[in-house]
Amino acid sequence: MTDVVLKVKDLAVSFMSELGLVRAVDGVDFELRRGETLALVGESGCGKSVTAHSILRLVEHAGGRIERGSVWFNGADLLKMPAEALRRVRGNRIAMIFQEPMTALNPVFTVGEQVAEVIREHLGRKRKEARAQAIDLFARVGIPDPSQRVDHYPHQLSGGMKQRVMIAMALACSPLVLIADEPTTALDVTVQAQILDLIASLQREQGMAVLLITHDLGVVAEVGDRVSVMYCGRMVEHGTAHEVFSEPLHPYTHGLISSIPSLTAPRGQLRAIPGGVPDPLDFPSGCRFHPRCFLKTRLETAAESGGSRICSEVSPSLREWRPSHPAACHFAEHMPPAAKEPAP
Amino acid sequence: MTPRAESALLEVDHLVKHFPLRRGLFSRVHAWVRAVDDVSFDLHAGETLGLVGESGSGKTTLGRSVLLLEEPTSGKLCFDGVDLISLRPSALRRTRRRMQFIFQDPYGSLNPRMRVESIVGEGMRIHSLARGAELRRRVAEILDQVGLPPSAMSRYPHEFSGGQRQRIGIARALSVDPSLIVCDEPVSALDVSVQAQVLNLLMEIRARRRLSYLFISHDLSVVRHISHRVAVMYLGQIVESGGVDELFSQPRHPYTQALLSAVPTRDPERKRLRILLPGEPPSPTDPPKGCRFHPRCPVAEKLCAVEEPPWKQRSATHSYRCIH
Repeated sequence: MTDVVLKVKDLAVSFMSELGLVRAVDGVDFELRRGETLALVGESGCGKSVTAHSILRLVEHAGGRIERGSVWFNGADLLKMPAEALRRVRGNRIAMIFQEPMTALNPVFTVGEQVAEVIREHLGRKRKEARAQAIDLFARVGIPDPSQRVDHYPHQLSGGMKQRVMIAMALACSPLVLIADEPTTALDVTVQAQILDLIASLQREQGMAVLLITHDLGVVAEVGDRVSVMYCGRMVEHGTAHEVFSEPLHPYTHGLISSIPSLTAPRGQLRAIPGGVPDPLDFPSGCRFHPRCFLKTRLETAAESGGSRICSEVSPSLREWRPSHPAACHFAEHMPPAAKEPAP
Repeated sequence: MTPRAESALLEVDHLVKHFPLRRGLFSRVHAWVRAVDDVSFDLHAGETLGLVGESGSGKTTLGRSVLLLEEPTSGKLCFDGVDLISLRPSALRRTRRRMQFIFQDPYGSLNPRMRVESIVGEGMRIHSLARGAELRRRVAEILDQVGLPPSAMSRYPHEFSGGQRQRIGIARALSVDPSLIVCDEPVSALDVSVQAQVLNLLMEIRARRRLSYLFISHDLSVVRHISHRVAVMYLGQIVESGGVDELFSQPRHPYTQALLSAVPTRDPERKRLRILLPGEPPSPTDPPKGCRFHPRCPVAEKLCAVEEPPWKQRSATHSYRCIH
């Protein structure tokens, strides 16, 4: 397909820890299409951030090793690209914003200098011109008094303003792809609404694709066109946001959605997923979700599964149970019909 | 909020907590952070009051002041009819047994060098509620109530996951049989799937023991789920309070309305009605004159910058602080 701007195939990334090898990402595939927002969701340790950081090979700077896989962008595999060529893509064609705008900005330079640096580096503008362009960008991302704000240092700005600066920096070269790693997690809900609104409107103007990494299903519901759900380093379900929320095919997705209290639905006991997220040094065999899976338990008590033993023995691969809605579950056809819409 | 006829478990009356900001060679106080600025509410036995607000609204300071973990600057605190502020230290310690705290950070709030048995048993020992074999038996019983196996007793906090550590924190709070627990963002550090388990547990315990919670959270869905009544804070003050259903379905204060409408949603109708607030909350060091919300308020008038808004009653249980 021509409208695919970024294609990740069979990505595997590992980290060496004191306690052993951690396979943080273990065979992940997805495609990002022009102009869309793809939300990569999952809980802590599922590998969503590592996946995002592997695209531009930032993970290598954090001690991660890309074991296998490819990331296709503009006809080239970013994972095999020489460092020099990759630098021309980074921040230019593919930009990234992070959860902690405080740590992502350099405290000893003014925010204007930092944005101007990107413009000089990638677009070859002169100092003065770059500064003027930075002021323009600040205005576009809704920073008040942009011509004064460019001379401020990061500590003089609030969290929301710093995230706007990061977005201005990311937009400097009109990228085709924006990777946003938990961009609003550190922000208050009213500021989060401003930032999500800003990203959406800039996306409409520029037609850029957004890969949104988040653990917050509310945010996914709000801005996601399509959703990919990760669990323990693997992809468990892909689909349009509507399909995934209204008819999840993987028991984990179903569990996540029912775990969240709603702003509108009647209150009662929450249907929590039992147990906790497994230790990445010791993932369960077979389907990594099987020890927590309600569907497996249900099939066992109904005794109709013909052996849900398969769950603990064979790792399920993604299968298209419905058109363009694959899930990695041996028994997705037994999924209860519809979960409720997520909060709110 | 207006005082109600029957006596409350906790009465907070015009509570103020200001922190000094010091600077220079002689640490001269050059400004005050007005973290909690004239807050009144009451809490009844078995009731959960949800306290919502954004960072810097003073909700955590309020929670800590209620248990005298921060000494209030002024105001009155009554617990079960007893004025806490005038209590002698020994009497305060006895009363404190009935008021416990659950912290946000399940990693930082447990002593890493103590075994779970000592962490959970410490309160009972200090208050001479049990000792020896009886103490061990009661620790095991409480651990069982929060869903931890007896084998947890001999282990250290680092051996547990975040959700399990929060259960240990809950067990510690329950150990001394309190009447009131202040829960400060008890689930916000947890994964979604684990958050639901802990919320269910808190609600189960509340029903079994007729506990009162002061439940502090920035997460509106969580607060709606667990609370009977809700108070919304902005810059050190409560701006609206009411029964959970009336407040969520008919918010009256423009800040509450904006806050509720900012929660992410799939619903295009809700998105269309969203009130996007400009800017961010100002500093509590120098709060705006008049109504503190007026610089960001979509319906502010000239008067709002001058006059402190009065409390208005929408119903017997629902009141808000706005001239509109």
